[in-house]
Amino acid sequence: MIKRKITEILLNGSVLFATAISILALGMIFFYVIKEGADLLSWNLIRGNYHARNYVAVLDPSFQDDTFDMPDFEDEDVYVSYRYGIALKQSRNLAGDGVIKVAYVAEGSPFTAMINQDQTKEMIAIDKDWVLSRITYLEHPSSLTSKGAASMIQDLEDPQREIFEVMFAKEGGGIYGSLITTLYLIFLTLIIALPFGILTAIYFNEFAAKNRWTKTMRSFIETLTGVPSIIFGLLGITVFVPLTMRLTPASGSNLIAGALTLTVILLPVIIRTTEEALRVIPDDHRFASLALGANKTQTTFKVVLPQAVPGILTATFLGIGRIIGESAALIFVLGAAIKDTVNIYRPSTSLAVHIWSMMTDEPPNVALSSTIALIILLIVLILNVSIKWIVSRFYTKGS
Amino acid sequence: METIFKIESLNLYYDKYHALKNIDLDIYKNKVTALIGPSGCGKSTFIRCLNRMNDLIEESKVDGTILFHDEQVQNPSYDVIGLRKKVGMVFQKPNPFPMSVFDNVAYGPRQQGVKDKKVLKQIVERALKQAALYDEVADRLNSSALKLSGGQQQRLCIARALAMEPEVILMDEPTSALDPIATQKIEDLISDLKNEYTIVIVTHSMQQAARISDFTAFFLLGELKEFDATERLFVSPKLKETEDYITGRFG
Repeated sequence: MIKRKITEILLNGSVLFATAISILALGMIFFYVIKEGADLLSWNLIRGNYHARNYVAVLDPSFQDDTFDMPDFEDEDVYVSYRYGIALKQSRNLAGDGVIKVAYVAEGSPFTAMINQDQTKEMIAIDKDWVLSRITYLEHPSSLTSKGAASMIQDLEDPQREIFEVMFAKEGGGIYGSLITTLYLIFLTLIIALPFGILTAIYFNEFAAKNRWTKTMRSFIETLTGVPSIIFGLLGITVFVPLTMRLTPASGSNLIAGALTLTVILLPVIIRTTEEALRVIPDDHRFASLALGANKTQTTFKVVLPQAVPGILTATFLGIGRIIGESAALIFVLGAAIKDTVNIYRPSTSLAVHIWSMMTDEPPNVALSSTIALIILLIVLILNVSIKWIVSRFYTKGS
Repeated sequence: METIFKIESLNLYYDKYHALKNIDLDIYKNKVTALIGPSGCGKSTFIRCLNRMNDLIEESKVDGTILFHDEQVQNPSYDVIGLRKKVGMVFQKPNPFPMSVFDNVAYGPRQQGVKDKKVLKQIVERALKQAALYDEVADRLNSSALKLSGGQQQRLCIARALAMEPEVILMDEPTSALDPIATQKIEDLISDLKNEYTIVIVTHSMQQAARISDFTAFFLLGELKEFDATERLFVSPKLKETEDYITGRFG
């Protein structure tokens, strides 16, 4: 009697213990990602380009020395040059590196009328939030980012110094390109993988004879769900990249090859999940339809398939999860060079590969990686909730 | 009496199991024929031969003759879809599709290519009225069929079969999943329907067979033991086994 009680306490205790540990471990992922990543999360990061656009310009020679009226800045890190009508602040770029940013430019400031030193020689104006990376002077040492905003302002205010060239940039470090690539991948992959996967599942569950051959094919597909994706990456680089190079304007790794590779990774998942959904539909419904004089095709597409929609949506969700999470295969097939403008015939990076790229930087950028991870988590969360919502709506409509 | 189905020396095997043995039976037009017998005696298997639903069971093999309007149903070239249009079926468990009441009844005609909304509406209305369900569901034709009660669902399934305007309706224990009141309604419905349709019903309940059928066939272990007009079979069975079964000595 007592022995049984002890056994029960031990069993119940281990259930609670295992649950607590699991929840703790999973909660820590969320906690870590939010703690590390929330700082850098901003609309500018999502909308911003990764590569800073750099400019080199000289001041318009017709400008006269002047003193500008500048507003008061409450921020301690803001330094003001009355001579040039510009305020600078010590800040960080989207990727979290220390930079000097423009906090304010007065109207008529010489920085609003500079001559671009590229072929165009156009007039160019610096704007708020742009990054000043270097100012060079005639016969004096340059002001650099590394010396800080205070020192740069000091140099500007020095009446001895005359500006030779200004180097500045529109801020970089954003993930817009990778985000767009990811969305492209989701769209292109699903549009190929879903129809093929669903129809294959229908064949196996509704049409195929239940013999050895079917069984073998099934376990073959099952095996593929467990194969590491890097192997599919090899398939991608040996088959899909050359194929797309032949058939499209692509000249190397490209987004279409990436989507095709992901399609192959996804097919087993979609086939299996859809088959699972088809299998639980009661045979009663098939019999009822057939007994009404409907043929097999009508029964499959009018009675069986609509009932499998929730399962198919689950398959879609799992598929999107795999697409967002895939990195190894994509590094081969889609490349690892971060791009700001996405072209389906050219290499680019998905968000997961963007993280990989940030972490292989020297030093690794953990903060930005966590922010991207947070964004990925948010995307997956939104998709999950919306698919649950669609499924629940679908079910209430049918029952 | 006109014979609609004529079955001669019908044998059916599931793989090696001999499920139906040498059945000879006539089904008469516009009559209710009840098939009774203990579980596993082959009555459901038999009824599924009449619309060739046994085709769906892979190991089943049929030989013998089933004549429907003097045509051999077992012929490989026989139009099975056409047969199932003329021989409707109602199953043991109510199995409406997860669609609206209207779409359930309209399903059969739609698969045959009826698209005209007016025509469909007429068909659905007529079928639901014949199944004595129209008054109960007239105001919720567009809500889900799964929201109906079990008895209503079963009558909906009957309406769904009626929408195809069949000649014969096969019923495989249609009331075994229903409460007594719903059962009563289905039995009343069967009595109404027999003026226009031929009905073959498998039932577990001797009382039900006695109440609603004109002819009764008693099956035992895959054999057709006795077939006669219901009154005669229940009042003066020829065989000892029949008497034992209908008096409840085994079953």
